[in-house]
Amino acid sequence: MRKYPFRWIEAMGMSNALTGRKVLVVEDESLVAMLLETILEDMGCIPVGPVSTVDEGVQKAENEPDLDLALLDVNVAGRQVFPVAEALARRGIPMVFSTGYGEAGLPPEWRGVPAIQKPFSEAAVRDAMLGALNVARA
Amino acid sequence: MRQLANTMDLGAAFDASPNAYVLLNTDLVIAGANTAYLELVNAKREQIIGRPMFEAFDSGPSDEAPENVRQVRDSILHAIKTGQRDHLAIVRFSIPFEDPTGAVIYEDRFWSATHTPIRDETGKVALVLQHTTDITEIESLRHQVGAVTGETSTALDAALGGGVLARAQQVQQSNRKLEIERRKLNDLFMQAPGFVAVLGGPDHVFELANSAYGQLIGHREVLGKSVREAMPEVVDQGFIDLLDHVYTTGETYEGRESLLQLQRRRGGDLEDVYLNFIYQPILGEEGRIVGVFVQGHEVTETVKADQRQRLMIDELNHRVKNTLATVQSIAMQTARTHEDPASFAETFQSRLMALSHTHNLLTRSHWEGADLRDVLQHETLAHGAHRVILNGPSVALPPAMAVSLGMIFHELATNAAKYGALSTGDGRVFVDWSVQDLTNRKLVIFWREQGGPSVTEPSRRGFGSRLIERNVRHDLAGEAKLVYASDGFNAEISLPLDRGDGHE
Repeated sequence: MRKYPFRWIEAMGMSNALTGRKVLVVEDESLVAMLLETILEDMGCIPVGPVSTVDEGVQKAENEPDLDLALLDVNVAGRQVFPVAEALARRGIPMVFSTGYGEAGLPPEWRGVPAIQKPFSEAAVRDAMLGALNVARA
Repeated sequence: MRQLANTMDLGAAFDASPNAYVLLNTDLVIAGANTAYLELVNAKREQIIGRPMFEAFDSGPSDEAPENVRQVRDSILHAIKTGQRDHLAIVRFSIPFEDPTGAVIYEDRFWSATHTPIRDETGKVALVLQHTTDITEIESLRHQVGAVTGETSTALDAALGGGVLARAQQVQQSNRKLEIERRKLNDLFMQAPGFVAVLGGPDHVFELANSAYGQLIGHREVLGKSVREAMPEVVDQGFIDLLDHVYTTGETYEGRESLLQLQRRRGGDLEDVYLNFIYQPILGEEGRIVGVFVQGHEVTETVKADQRQRLMIDELNHRVKNTLATVQSIAMQTARTHEDPASFAETFQSRLMALSHTHNLLTRSHWEGADLRDVLQHETLAHGAHRVILNGPSVALPPAMAVSLGMIFHELATNAAKYGALSTGDGRVFVDWSVQDLTNRKLVIFWREQGGPSVTEPSRRGFGSRLIERNVRHDLAGEAKLVYASDGFNAEISLPLDRGDGHE
């Protein structure tokens, strides 16, 4: 499938691309997790988790059925989230990183994966998620 | 020579020589002198044998005497030290004579001398043979001619060998200057604050290493050894390849903040050392590369300070961004339940203040943690100490746990003040806590409200109760039970105190 700019997708009535998507959330701060949950619910997504440790994240990434997408905080309680990212990648599930540093803070092997910087706007979350789904399909 | 010595009396030959000889031991004491020497210096054998050379001959009372003595002594010492013959082309030295009245007068003389080291059976220099020639007449002739013609260099001068002498004198002076320069340069290298080493040949053999270099590499003697032998731990770190490259190509190499692992103490572990350094080729005759000059200084402290600073900035950035996201979340959640801007502002602000209070507590302890009672007091004091009764042991909370509990107590207190025991005049809140199971410590907190209006369970769960439940479960890996009993709201919160999974 061709890549379209996000606005085109919206213009073509595809803004509902996120409706009903199951989205895993890995985030150790409950308040931030609640914020993401709220944003996801507003977009019609079904949040999975949120989980607050890498181990729980890996467990969900490997076993949760019908996952469409994941939002991963890079630094989870002092550990890096990449084992979760690897588990998702093995299943071909797209992901979005959330970090204090933006994409520049990612190690080289994960550059190119959409990243959102904390604090984030709803629009930034939505664009990154659409980008991740689009990249995964392209 | 031994054959010769057996058949000849060498002592007699020495004494009969028309050349003046004096023999000194390495303490510069006169051990022997031949007749020619005694005649030349106007001395009797018994007056000088066994006496220190420069006590027997001190060049007299003139101002120049100390300098004259120094020149002769330096030449002798140089022969002893190097084991090589040393020439003193020309030197002024005064000799005492008795005038007809018996008074001692000093006669200014010019000399040319050769000092030859003589070794004992073990090869050590034991004696120095001085061969000295009185060249006073040649010198004075030279000066007389110079005074008449106004020139210092004449045909006569040349005929007399004065030119040669003058040149020899110049060479001698410049040699002395060079020697002084060399020593200065050597001192400069040795005392330089940066490390300096001279490596010779294709195997990079240490020919010089200053004290800073010694401090850098620690504990070992390197002179005369190759880098490979002297510092085996660096062989696989690429430095020998670099030296080879500089030695073969003649290209200078500059290292910036290069990591080197050195064994600085005998038998010790390898230590990380960061260096700024330069390898420069040393060119010998015909521009051939004969060695590598190494100089630089250690920058370990600077590099480590930079690394620490970068880590701290990263950590600070992480915390600030996370805190901003937390505040963003509080704002959004608060906005959902407070449509009126004034009530939104009030609630949002009080939540921010709760967060800020706990931060203040933590800052006081340099973010090492806070005591549970202090956190509780901070969030409940506004409602009156007699109305919120705290009862439990001292419990040290790590920073993240303190922040979470601060938020939780704020929500509980706010709820009590709005709808519960603190909303009427005589209600009270009892907060009791204890630590259970000392091997796997668990903190259990009871929040009990009494004397407030009768309670009914709310139809819709507000942000406060959601935050409490989520925070305890998600951030603290604990459990929260909120009970809306008709005679008063109560909450039971239990959480593990020692989680070893990176949660602070």
